[in-house]
Amino acid sequence: MNRHTEWNRRDFLKTASAATLAALASNGPKEAFGNSYENPPALADTMIVLWMGGGMAHTETFDPKRYTPYEKGLGSDQVLSTFPAIDTVVDNIKLSEGLEKIGSVMDRGTLIRSYKAGDLGFILHSRHQYHWHTGYAPPLTVAAPHIGAWMAKILGPNNPDVPAFIDIGQRLDVGEGEELKAFHQAGFLGSEYGPFMIPYPDEAMQSVQPPEGMSASRFQNREKLYRKLMETSPIGEFGSNYHKESLVRSMDKAHRLLNSPASKAFDLSLEPKEVYDKYNTGRFGLGCLLARRLTEVGARFIEVTTEYVPFEGFDTHENGHSRMVGMKEMIDGPVSQLVLDLEERGLLDRTLIVLASEFSRDMLVEGKPDLIVKGQVTQPDVIEEEKFYGMHRHFTDAGSVLLFGGGIKKGHLHGVTADERPCKTLEGEIRIENLHATLYTAMGISPKYKLDVEQRPFYVTKDGKGEAVKELYA
Amino acid sequence: MRNRKYFAWMGFFLLVGMILTPQTRAEEAHYPPAANRTVSFQKDIEPVLRQNCAKCHARGKAEGGFRMDVRDLVLIGSNTGRVVQTGDSQNSYLTHLISGLDSSVRMPPSGELLSEEQVGLIRAWIDQGLPWPDGINLGRFKEAELEPREVIVPTAKAIHSDNPVDRLLESYFQKNEIEFPERVDDRLFARRAYLDTIGLLPPPDQLEAFLEDDSPDKRNALVEDLLSRNQEYAENWITFWNDLLRNDFTGTGYIDGGRKQITDWLYHSLEANKPYNQFVHELVDPVTGSEGFIKGIVWRGVTNSSQTPAMQAAQNIGQVFMGINLKCASCHDSFISNWTLKDSYGLASVFSDDPLEIHRCDNPTGDHAPIKFLYEELGTVDPNLPRDRREEQLANILTDEQNGRFARTFVNRLWARLLGHGLIEPNDEMDRDPWSKDILDWLATDFIENDFDVKHTLRVILTSKAYQLPSSSWNGQNDKNFVFTGPVVKRMTAEQFRDSLCAITNHWPGEPGTDLKIDNMVDGVTQTRSWMLKRDPFTVAMGRPNRDQINSQRSPYATTLQALELTNGSTLYDLLEQGAGRLISDHGQSKEELVHYLFFYGLGREATEAEKGMVLEMIGDEISAENVEDVLWSLAMLPEFQLIY
Repeated sequence: MNRHTEWNRRDFLKTASAATLAALASNGPKEAFGNSYENPPALADTMIVLWMGGGMAHTETFDPKRYTPYEKGLGSDQVLSTFPAIDTVVDNIKLSEGLEKIGSVMDRGTLIRSYKAGDLGFILHSRHQYHWHTGYAPPLTVAAPHIGAWMAKILGPNNPDVPAFIDIGQRLDVGEGEELKAFHQAGFLGSEYGPFMIPYPDEAMQSVQPPEGMSASRFQNREKLYRKLMETSPIGEFGSNYHKESLVRSMDKAHRLLNSPASKAFDLSLEPKEVYDKYNTGRFGLGCLLARRLTEVGARFIEVTTEYVPFEGFDTHENGHSRMVGMKEMIDGPVSQLVLDLEERGLLDRTLIVLASEFSRDMLVEGKPDLIVKGQVTQPDVIEEEKFYGMHRHFTDAGSVLLFGGGIKKGHLHGVTADERPCKTLEGEIRIENLHATLYTAMGISPKYKLDVEQRPFYVTKDGKGEAVKELYA
Repeated sequence: MRNRKYFAWMGFFLLVGMILTPQTRAEEAHYPPAANRTVSFQKDIEPVLRQNCAKCHARGKAEGGFRMDVRDLVLIGSNTGRVVQTGDSQNSYLTHLISGLDSSVRMPPSGELLSEEQVGLIRAWIDQGLPWPDGINLGRFKEAELEPREVIVPTAKAIHSDNPVDRLLESYFQKNEIEFPERVDDRLFARRAYLDTIGLLPPPDQLEAFLEDDSPDKRNALVEDLLSRNQEYAENWITFWNDLLRNDFTGTGYIDGGRKQITDWLYHSLEANKPYNQFVHELVDPVTGSEGFIKGIVWRGVTNSSQTPAMQAAQNIGQVFMGINLKCASCHDSFISNWTLKDSYGLASVFSDDPLEIHRCDNPTGDHAPIKFLYEELGTVDPNLPRDRREEQLANILTDEQNGRFARTFVNRLWARLLGHGLIEPNDEMDRDPWSKDILDWLATDFIENDFDVKHTLRVILTSKAYQLPSSSWNGQNDKNFVFTGPVVKRMTAEQFRDSLCAITNHWPGEPGTDLKIDNMVDGVTQTRSWMLKRDPFTVAMGRPNRDQINSQRSPYATTLQALELTNGSTLYDLLEQGAGRLISDHGQSKEELVHYLFFYGLGREATEAEKGMVLEMIGDEISAENVEDVLWSLAMLPEFQLIY
């Protein structure tokens, strides 16, 4: 029985730390009655999602098909890829031209080619992003938490001085900001577990230092006065209460975070110039650098996005080919460098990196091959202008996901897609619930983990039915 | 932890199970031990049976011939014989089944097994003779009564109060052996009353006048005055309603016309203190400006059939006005209430131009539900009428005086808003037991008898001793055990907190997010209150919710992200920086005067000598904007500032 006892204790400690963080509110979520899932041993302590916002075409990136160079008069139906395929360090994995650096680290990770995005009718970025990040399709009667909020809630911070859920690079006041806000949140878990938003990574330091314009000494003095007033406050006469304790505790935590050595990780100016330059392909690249620095000091969940703004980034509705050149430049260096840097620091084994997008794109097929979608991008049968050369329609039947580190197989290829249009998934289909189950399991969370909300169970994977894809683990 | 431990047990028992032959199950089997205490059927057993067994063995279901709606059916047993040996759990088949030692005959048959502790409780229950109080039927969930109830109000014994709430509370206190406490002092009362009615702190001159007033009736007079400030009242309570009715200036759906604001209608309804029955009638059977509530939020693409606009309308009407959860019963017959899929579709169909096909868990069934309101005894909706007439009929039924639940649901929300904890918690689950049925029922009946006058009920509560008792603390858990001793401490809403700082500095920055035109110019300053602004990181961090879902109660607890926003966020920093300048020019004649103003406005009291010393030291010899800004920040961070004691 000893072995059991020890195992129980370890798990108890984990549960207890999460439980003590639980938001207290009568209408808040409760530990579900009669839970009997078993949390698996964690393979990773930190998870980094690299989000390719806007729909990244698989045939232009990680799943190259027959290459057809541009020429006037080209038939749209001939074009599957607008880039040639390139070799990688792994024999059976070819990538699309422009991803040479990621190709050089493919022996550190797994490439899934058979991710099928949700079938949500019209293929819409915001709904599919919501679906990817929460595992549920909106609208819902309760606010579903972001996967990062679940991690924050269940696992707590890795280092108490670093916010457990950090979101880098997405502005919420642009484009479909409201639709993005709908899932950039902790939902019913309570805002304690919500994202710490850093839209501009090179300004990250501002979020953990005194407000702009306030000197450090003034900041300390102000804090000191607050503390002195707090300690002598006659409100003590009302005795202790939960509300007061929660206020004081939150201020303590914020103060600790602002004064912690870990806060230096937010400061990209401390990075040597040559390293900074390697990452500096813009906000996404610097976001990867910030993610690396935060991982080093003990972050739990980080998302770095190329940012979703309608018709920008990967959301190519025209000029798909030329814009894809730029997008690959944006991601190729930083993603590969992140993998290498974490490896060099001995952190890759306990860090799970996931590169994904809400869906893929195709030149002709939008959604199901047999269903015409209203309002899809116009694509001429014969391409007379270069702006029509690229993947401009939304495609859900296949998509690529990259996984590195955290107990994931190295140099592994999963799934097969068709070599002719529609380039859909043929083997090894993975849906969001099973992808999430794979990620949660790697992080030491059962896919059946649930909380009771309004007396109903709510699971981390839809209805608790997600199952980890075991063959992806090393 | 319980589950972890249980798994250890299970591992052990599985080993044992492999060694033992099936025949040896009863005598030798090592089931989890029976609990070593007297069990309570309602607390220990009923929830377990409802959660794990009732789905297949009650409500008309009899898997294996076994039913357990009532005790007698449990005793009859299943097709294969007795399931329970009363008084002998070791030899009861039920113990074997729920222990799960044999995976081929275990209960529940799939999914999660009961925990060791739960098995132990069931065993103790069997051993103790299967106690089962009369009237409990697992085939039915407890439902609160529908009709209003006249409550006989006792005469006051020791207290001096004509207020029926107090006289009922006195009985409650007697029953719970609680001495009726003294009321809080005037300044605390004033701070509560101002924030709860108009959402603002009492300005120093008004507070001083109130404190100096020595008329015995001054508290009632203050309540009267505050309730008569129609605009300020509306600007405070609109936040409560925006949260409840999902009304906001931005949010999902607006991008392509899938949502409609009701701000104008809502503001003017509150300003006019529209009777609640009329108010709800206009939401359900829309008038110009109130259509948005029934319209719901429409996302493009295919949505789950439980989330069509008509289903949203049914769920929202159920939750907001009746304290009924139809969310479960929108996919399947509810496991937590008596509501069925048919009930939900019957209500939703009122709002559908075409007949709604019932979908079970998003799969079409081919069935259609007859159009009806949840409680047919209140009246019928004629399915042959066009939609707008059906909406009218429904609105009539819902707001009918015989619908006591409609009134109870609302007065409970008011009570919760004013006293920090509802008579029933959570406020959306009105089948739960109130901690005082008499107070709830009296308030509801009184509300109906006073023509659904919201300010009347507010007045009754605000002028009661109950409202004026010293505050208490409650951790929000195990609401079943709640005992009222006084109002539970509340936290200022995001809007109240920001408005307080704006009022203290008389600096009201920000562009309204709504086109609503109101006259909020005071002495040359446009006082744009926080509810009018779009959600921003500051108010979001302070608890302003995303209104894509109904928010009936905001979390009263602080978060780290919120503290960070307060400590280094630019919104508050800018507000205080700009406000400090104005503060000095208005109130900076002397340092002492400034300190008095800040404490009296912010905390509703004078600074203690110690506090005065600290603050004067911070301000230094010369009053500077920076130092004043920092003093104000320090004050605003205090629990005494942010909480409503």
